[in-house]
Amino acid sequence: MARARRAGDPADGTPPSPAPEGADPAPATAGEAEQTERLGTRSVELARFYQGKVETVPKVPVRSLKDFSVWYTPGIAAVSRAIHEQPERSFELTGRWNTIAIVTDGSRVLGLGDIGPEAAMPVMEGKALLFKFLGGVDAIPLPLRVTSADELIDAVLRLAPAFGGVNLEDIASPKCFRVLEELQRRLPIPVWHDDQLGTAAATVAGLINALKVTDRDLRSSRTVLLGAGAANLVTARLLIALGHDPRRLSLVDQKGILEPERDDIDALALNHPWKYRLALQTRGAGRRGDAAAALAGADVLLAASTPDPDTVKPAWIRSMAPRPIVFALANPVPEIWPSRALEAGAAVVATGRSDFPNQVNNSLVFPAVFRGVLDARARSIPDEIVLAAARELADHAARHGLSAQHLLPTMDEHEVFPRVAARVATRSVELGLARRRLGYEEFLELARARMDRTHHLAAAMLRDGFTLPMPDEPIPPEEP
Amino acid sequence: MTEHPPHPSAPAATPTETALPIRVRGATEADLEPLVALMLRLKRLNEEFDPMLEVRPDAEARTREILRSELGNPRALLLAVEATGEEAGKVVGVVRATVRERPFYTPESEGVIQDIYLLPLYRRRRVGEYLLEEVARHLKERGAGILTAEFPTQNEIASRFYGKRGFRPVTALYARRL
Repeated sequence: MARARRAGDPADGTPPSPAPEGADPAPATAGEAEQTERLGTRSVELARFYQGKVETVPKVPVRSLKDFSVWYTPGIAAVSRAIHEQPERSFELTGRWNTIAIVTDGSRVLGLGDIGPEAAMPVMEGKALLFKFLGGVDAIPLPLRVTSADELIDAVLRLAPAFGGVNLEDIASPKCFRVLEELQRRLPIPVWHDDQLGTAAATVAGLINALKVTDRDLRSSRTVLLGAGAANLVTARLLIALGHDPRRLSLVDQKGILEPERDDIDALALNHPWKYRLALQTRGAGRRGDAAAALAGADVLLAASTPDPDTVKPAWIRSMAPRPIVFALANPVPEIWPSRALEAGAAVVATGRSDFPNQVNNSLVFPAVFRGVLDARARSIPDEIVLAAARELADHAARHGLSAQHLLPTMDEHEVFPRVAARVATRSVELGLARRRLGYEEFLELARARMDRTHHLAAAMLRDGFTLPMPDEPIPPEEP
Repeated sequence: MTEHPPHPSAPAATPTETALPIRVRGATEADLEPLVALMLRLKRLNEEFDPMLEVRPDAEARTREILRSELGNPRALLLAVEATGEEAGKVVGVVRATVRERPFYTPESEGVIQDIYLLPLYRRRRVGEYLLEEVARHLKERGAGILTAEFPTQNEIASRFYGKRGFRPVTALYARRL
């Protein structure tokens, strides 16, 4: 059900790979290629049948048209006046508290590249559906026709008065870093970019438990991040915030280990300050060269790079510390098949896929995080909150029994969503960012209620025929 | 190859002590290779700013020749920046300057900062400011009555750096390909 997480940018990816830049990632087998093809056909059929995945419906009774004198003019003027006097009351007197914008410029949609805002719409609708279904969040898809990072920032600043939060989606790296930072700095509502924060939170959660399962301490572990795209750059930042020694951390992109004296370091200082800062902070863990040089003796490999099962060599894993941790997170094909990583000595393996154990899945994160920040009417979403979500994911999996095959909750463990939401909301209160300060139990109840309501609503709409049942048979194309 | 002794008027090879993670001293023949590497990094950085500053293929050999000749030239000032902390003794920066006559203007002698480069780990922390003051002092000692700095127009970081320290643009250098 979760959207496939993408592999890193070609530009930010990893060691040279046979996969041509911009090409669709090659599925592993003919069977998988067929499966992907079949799902694609089905998606197009159903898109034609339903013509959109979300809609707005009234949430107030309209007994007669007279009721519009309170829902609309003249009565509504008093509500507007109240908000004019106290703008914060927009969170209480309108749907703002539960409404977020899903904003994209269409510059990096799935693995499809820069396909533009119209073509990004089906993906944004799908995301809106996930937000509603898993988090009870009203999410409005808003693909924007903008040409620069500044235009995108400006557009979102202007949209913000209608929303309690913003979810940025499918924006190319490194543009996405500046857009997120700038909007987080300037807006009084939470702004999130899933490719950075969601994926990083899920990765960190999995790693916390992988360290436990292999009896390691984060502070003394040596970690290699293969691929320096949106997700891994944020994962590195979060790990350092969690107490990982930056000098025992290295990032590897297709030019090798990021370190302060790499040949292109001055170019990075100008064009990619996020990589530059991490190069200085980590100093490449004292190493230079390629991925193999980085991995010798390392405890942890976090790969978020090229969707090719030959990206990570078994020999690299054999050169790591005994019983290493291997996350191969490229989608749809991991950087090494789990079986091969295990053969090469990996103690635990995680991937981005639901058909292997330990799926690192951002769908466990974003609906719950937004449920939490919206319930707390949070003003922002700093890394402390992202880490609170990661910790709750890790704790939740641990409560259900940790093992090398169960590092993370699965999507079937429904209780994880309200738990993460309540933890996030509580953390916003602790950090002084909440407009609404409740206790953990109250936030938990609220989150459960919002999520249950959506499930009941969806079931009722289907039962009463407002949502059409899913057609089984292939649907013939419409007559022109 | 003969070792050039530091020129009599050159800053002593005994470093100036500072509270910074670096110290500055006159360059010697032994610094040649690290200084060449640093100069090339700077020229490649300039290339990032402007395609008119594309680094030529034999730049490394030419840099080596130029620096070697400047080690023995009293008008040239070549300073090596040396790390003092974790990487003590390593050459982590270069300052290259010279004194030129101004035949039409007064003051008649101009101290020109041609190149300043520091490895990333040694940037900020007021190191740049300290280097500027050091080089200004040396150039003044050699009779310079005005201090200038050359850098790519597009390098806004350098513009800001010098702008904050009392410099302003005086002569513009426009270029077009032929």
